[in-house]
This record gives sequence, structure tokens and C-alpha cells, in this order.
Amino acid sequence: MANAPEDVKLKRQAEEDAGALADSRTGTTKFLTGLGAAAHALKMADIDVASSYPIRPYTGLMMMLSMMAARGELDLEFVHGEGEHAQLGIAHGASSAGARALTGSSGVGVMYAMEVYSPISGGRCPLQMVIADRTLDPPGDFGSEHTDALSTRDQGWLLGWAHTPQEVFDNTLMFYRIGEDPRVYLPQMNCQDGYFLSHIPMKVVVPTQEEVDAFLPPLQFPDALDPENPLGHGPQLFPGQGHILEASRVNAMMGAFPVIDEVVNDFNSRFGTSYDPFVEQYKCADAEYVLFISGGHAYTAKFAVDHMREKGMKIGLVRTRWVRPWPTDYLADILTKFKAVGVVETNNSFGAARQCGILTLEVATTLYQAPKKPVLTAFMAGLGGEVIRLDEFYYMGDVLKDAAAKGSTERTAYWIGFHNV
Amino acid sequence: MKERYKKYTIEIPEEMSIPFAGIVESPKPNGEQPLMLTGGWRIYRPVVDSEKCVMCKSCVLACPDATVLLVDGGNKIGFNLDYCKGCGLCTWACPVNAIDRVPELDFEDGVPFQDALFLLPHVEALYADD
Amino acid sequence: MIEITVWATGVIQDKEGRDVCLVLTEAAFNEGKFTQAFDNYVDLPDRINVQVRKYARISESQIENVFEYENHRPNIIGVCEATIMKGINVCKGIQKNGFLVINTTKDPEELLKYVPEKERKRLKAVGTIDALGIAPEQLIDYSGSEGAEDVSAIGGGLGAAMAGAIAAISGVVKKESVLGAASNRTAAKRGYDEVKIKQL
Repeated sequence: MANAPEDVKLKRQAEEDAGALADSRTGTTKFLTGLGAAAHALKMADIDVASSYPIRPYTGLMMMLSMMAARGELDLEFVHGEGEHAQLGIAHGASSAGARALTGSSGVGVMYAMEVYSPISGGRCPLQMVIADRTLDPPGDFGSEHTDALSTRDQGWLLGWAHTPQEVFDNTLMFYRIGEDPRVYLPQMNCQDGYFLSHIPMKVVVPTQEEVDAFLPPLQFPDALDPENPLGHGPQLFPGQGHILEASRVNAMMGAFPVIDEVVNDFNSRFGTSYDPFVEQYKCADAEYVLFISGGHAYTAKFAVDHMREKGMKIGLVRTRWVRPWPTDYLADILTKFKAVGVVETNNSFGAARQCGILTLEVATTLYQAPKKPVLTAFMAGLGGEVIRLDEFYYMGDVLKDAAAKGSTERTAYWIGFHNV
Repeated sequence: MKERYKKYTIEIPEEMSIPFAGIVESPKPNGEQPLMLTGGWRIYRPVVDSEKCVMCKSCVLACPDATVLLVDGGNKIGFNLDYCKGCGLCTWACPVNAIDRVPELDFEDGVPFQDALFLLPHVEALYADD
Repeated sequence: MIEITVWATGVIQDKEGRDVCLVLTEAAFNEGKFTQAFDNYVDLPDRINVQVRKYARISESQIENVFEYENHRPNIIGVCEATIMKGINVCKGIQKNGFLVINTTKDPEELLKYVPEKERKRLKAVGTIDALGIAPEQLIDYSGSEGAEDVSAIGGGLGAAMAGAIAAISGVVKKESVLGAASNRTAAKRGYDEVKIKQL
């Protein structure tokens, strides 16, 4: 941009000020994919152990970390597992020993490690897993669907989605700080859409190492595995202790709420960002109906909302940054203001109530006790990794506009590609 | 179907249907899969000098894609140009240096021409303005 | 929005093909445009010599279809390995008054004969450039593939020459912009100056 003429620079600045980059952050500007952003953030977070296993599309992250380690830019113990199950096991061990551990996967890889998620969260190991979403087999489809990470939502991990590579960078740092907080001690899944975020470079502002160090202190893990001081991790319980352990795990997860609030606000003040800790609202101030979304497709959805507003439609976008813990009260307050809510689902739960996706189930429960409930429907879109095109968002807007006027919808779930043609 | 269950399922139109569980025919016995023509990858074409060739068939064995063939009643070496990727293993394997690697562009034909790789129906519609 | 599609061979030219797009988008970004440079995701580029595509988008306003997987209606086609044209219709979907730039020492007609009539008549001009001759080497570097960050410099050789040639024939970016964006300024300049342009 340095050599651009002055009027062009001012025009760009005005557009950026008005748009999603409405923050005043300083640092080095790079063009990075979501994987590149995560790798840079992890390097600055000085992770200790990374366990790898290749699966497209997240593999690029491990490519970058191994290169950083090989070139001496990062003091990293890089361990290759023989599968995703081993990968998570390695990270589990490293984290139990007090190391800041990192692992990652995509699609069926996330499923392959399924057994280890609960032991890790129950063991309160604050490791991070970078997930670049991929459709589950069949077929061998590399495109993004969130079902892979969402399928682990009951396992006790913090779970959240980014919608730009910049947010991936920021989440990487924030998730470690939140997960490693002594009031929490939980593992985190740092999710981004495969290809859409993981493979397309976008502008990322990288802060200085000093700023990152000031925000993210080193990990202090209590009762870490130590030959000098042997302890028993993950023993059998006595009868009558099971529900107590579960209750303490619930408290860890729900106790994350004030920590998330505190950490994100601290991040904003240090780095000049304007993240809402839990839920982003885009043009909702006077909206009558909203799209509810999580993840990368929100980037396109914002443009669609802009265009629909130009046509006079009173539509907004609500994007949840967290799926676990689910910000129930925040969302109940926000969503009950609208006449209709359409949940954009890039996931599937075959046979779920109302034939809708996973997020709609959560939203429906969120709204259950509200005295005045909006019309709720689901839009199954972007499945198989398809792009959700602007005209498809316009279709969703039209359905919601009708729903707001009529007070009901024809369907509980609309399938893009079938019902909109 | 009972009325109450009709709304549970999605109508998949005829033109969009795919085989049950995505199960397809297997490739033909000789290994050819017309949907996966790889001749276009080739930058150098193997050419055998029949005078030098001793028909030891090392090249046939060396080819990872089974595109080196016995032709002319089993008396000569030929190549399946629809699939040969030009990797050069046959050239390397030949004990009498009977195979040369010649730039593919030196030849007029011999490469199956593909209009597009994996063209989707909705993308095909984008070219309709022609 | 200008869409550019660059064809290259898998693994061998993965880096150089990507560099063409990175140099052009860096140049355009420095002129104040909105840009996007990305690899084709479907191509599974880890197969040696498979035909791969690298994409660039250059626009006066925000690019809204950022997630669209391919450039379906390109304005400019770059071909880093001329033999690719024999097996595939590299100009498929090209817009009217499109440009084609080929890395070759051959006469353009020798390669144009592989372009079907439908696409050929939409070409405004074809450029040929001996990019491989200009480049000190054709760098094979897999570090920047699959969403990872390139560790080697952008535009160090063949890619820079191709980018220069594309800028010259189409005017999509200014000469000084493309020269400044390539790490090998000489290669970019030679690509810009030496491309043989044939109007069609």
C-alpha cells in the first residue's frame, strides 16, 4: 500500500474503518492463511511440544511448525504420532508433564482420536488442538463441514470458531490464556474452516513478541508429572465419587465464563481489537430477523447482509465465537429481540430433532423458556465443503423476511441446493 | 408414505441423483479409468528404437502405471499414450539404452485432450453466455 | 475484477506457479487494489507433473466471493509448462478479450493449435516468453503449499519472468509495481521487456 496514490489510500482506509477491520491494531502486516496465522501465534506463544500426524487440510500447520523447529526459530519438541489417536495421546502426556502442548487434526482424524478427548479434559490438561474442519467420510471430500469438531462437543473441551485468519491468530493466543487460567484448566479446540480459512491468505496484523509475552504468561500446571515427585494421574474412582468429579468438570467449563470475559477484554485493550467475548452482532441494532452462524461462512454472510440492507431488508447477523461453553444467557438476551432466526448449519446430525443441524438444537434450547420466541428455522448450507454463494444467502434472507411477517416457516430445515432451486 | 412422514425427507431430483452409497463401477480389468486420463501429464514421451531393443521386457516390469505394452503380436514394445505420465523409469530400466525421452511437443498427437478437469453442472451453466 | 489462472506442473513448478500469482497480487496491492492469491484446492498438487492451477484475483473493490474455489471466468491465462496445453483446454471459460502467456521458445502458433476455436476467438493477444531461460533456476520448494507460508523469497526466477510478461501484455499492473514485487527484479524486468506479443 505504501506506493499507492493518496486518494486511493484514503478510500481504502475509509472502507476498512467501516468494515470488519474496525479496530486500531498495530504490528507487522502479513498475508497469511489461517494455518500460517496459527503457526505464527504458536511460535510467539512459545509452545513446548507439538504432536503431528498429516491430514489435509490442517497439515500445513505442522509443516510450518516443523520448519520453525528445524531452523531454530522455535524451541519445540516435535513428535510424530502413528495416527491421530497417538497424536492426542502424545499431547496428553506432554501436557500432563506441564508442557504447553499443541496438536491438531481435520475431519476423520478428529474422529480417530475420539477416545482420548474425555481423559484429557477430565485430566484438566490445557493443551490446544488446532482443527481445520473437513467433511467426514464418505466421501473423501476435503471441503469444510463443522461436524468433525462439533462431534466432540460433549467431551469437555473449550470449543470455538474463527471467521478470518486474523481471528485464528487472536484465538490461538486467547484460547491458551483462557484454558491455562488456574480457574479453568481445560483443553481447547481452536477451529477454522478447512480451505476457506486454512488455505486462503488474508491480511493478518502480527503484534510484537513483547506484547504477546505480556498477554500470555508461561504455563503453570499444578501436579505435573515429575519423576522427583510421583503422583497418580487418572486413577479409578471410589463408588460415590463419579458425580462429584463430573460436577467439578462442569464447574471448570462453566467457570470459564468470567475468565473468557476478562481475557478477551484484556486482549482488546492491549491489542486495539474490538472482539465481543462471546457473540458478534453485525448490523443487528434495528434488525427484525437474523442469520445465526459460526465459522468462516460469516465472512461472506456479512457482505450478503450489507447487500440485503441496501435493498431495505432489516436483516442482521449473529455469530457465536463459542460453541462450548454455549453462551446461553447472552444468546437468549440477543435472539429474543428478533422476529425470526435462521441458523446457518454447515454440519449434520442425521436424525436430529426437527431434522436440523447441531447448532439449531442449541439455539432452540436457548430460546425454550423465553416468553416471546422468534420463529426458528435452519438452513443446511455449505455441506460437502460447498461455497455458500451470495444468492443463497439472499434466499435465506427472503425466507426469514417471510417468517418474520407470517410468524412461521414452511419447514424446520431448508436444504440449500434443493429447496432454493 | 404416511403424510406425517413426508416432510422428514428431502426430494432429490432425478438429474441430481448419485449411486447408492456412492458405489461405482470398478476400473476395467486392464486398469483403464477414462475419468482419470493422465497422458496430459507427460512432458517427455518414451520412444523405443526397435533395432536396439532385445525384448527383455525390463521396461514392461519397470512401469509403475502398466503403460508399457507388448504390441504387434507380442514382438514389439509399445506405450499406452493415454496414460503414460512420462516418468522415465522405462528409459532408466532399459539395459541397452533402447528408449529415448523425446519432448511431447515434438509430436502432433498422442495426448488425449480434456476440455476441463472435473466440471460441475452449475459451473457449466456459467459458460452459457457464449 | 480481473481473474488470473496460472497452469503449472505439480511439485516441480508448484512454487514458481504460485509465485506468478503472488508477485502480481503484491504488485496490485501496492497500487491500492484488493487482491487474493490462492492455490487450486482440488488439484492435489503433491503428484509430480500433474496439471495444477494457481489463481489470482485483482479488484477495485472488496472481493466478496473470496471462498469460490476456482476462477471460472479468467481474463488472463498463464502457462508455465507449454506441454500442458496439449492435454488440457487451458483457456476454458476465458472471458472475451482475454490474454494468454506461455513459457516457451516456440512460435505461438505451434501452441495455439491446441486451443479450441471457441476459446481461441476470445483471445485478444498471446504472449510467449522464455521464462525458464531467464530464470537462474526453477525452484522446487514445497514450503508454501497447503496453506503454509513460503520460506523462500517470492518471485526468484521463472515465476517473476512470467509475472512480468503477464503485466506487459495485459497491463493488469504497472511495470514498476511488478518489478518491485518480485525478489528477482531482473527476471521480472526481462519478462516484461522480452515477451513477444502477438495480437489476434
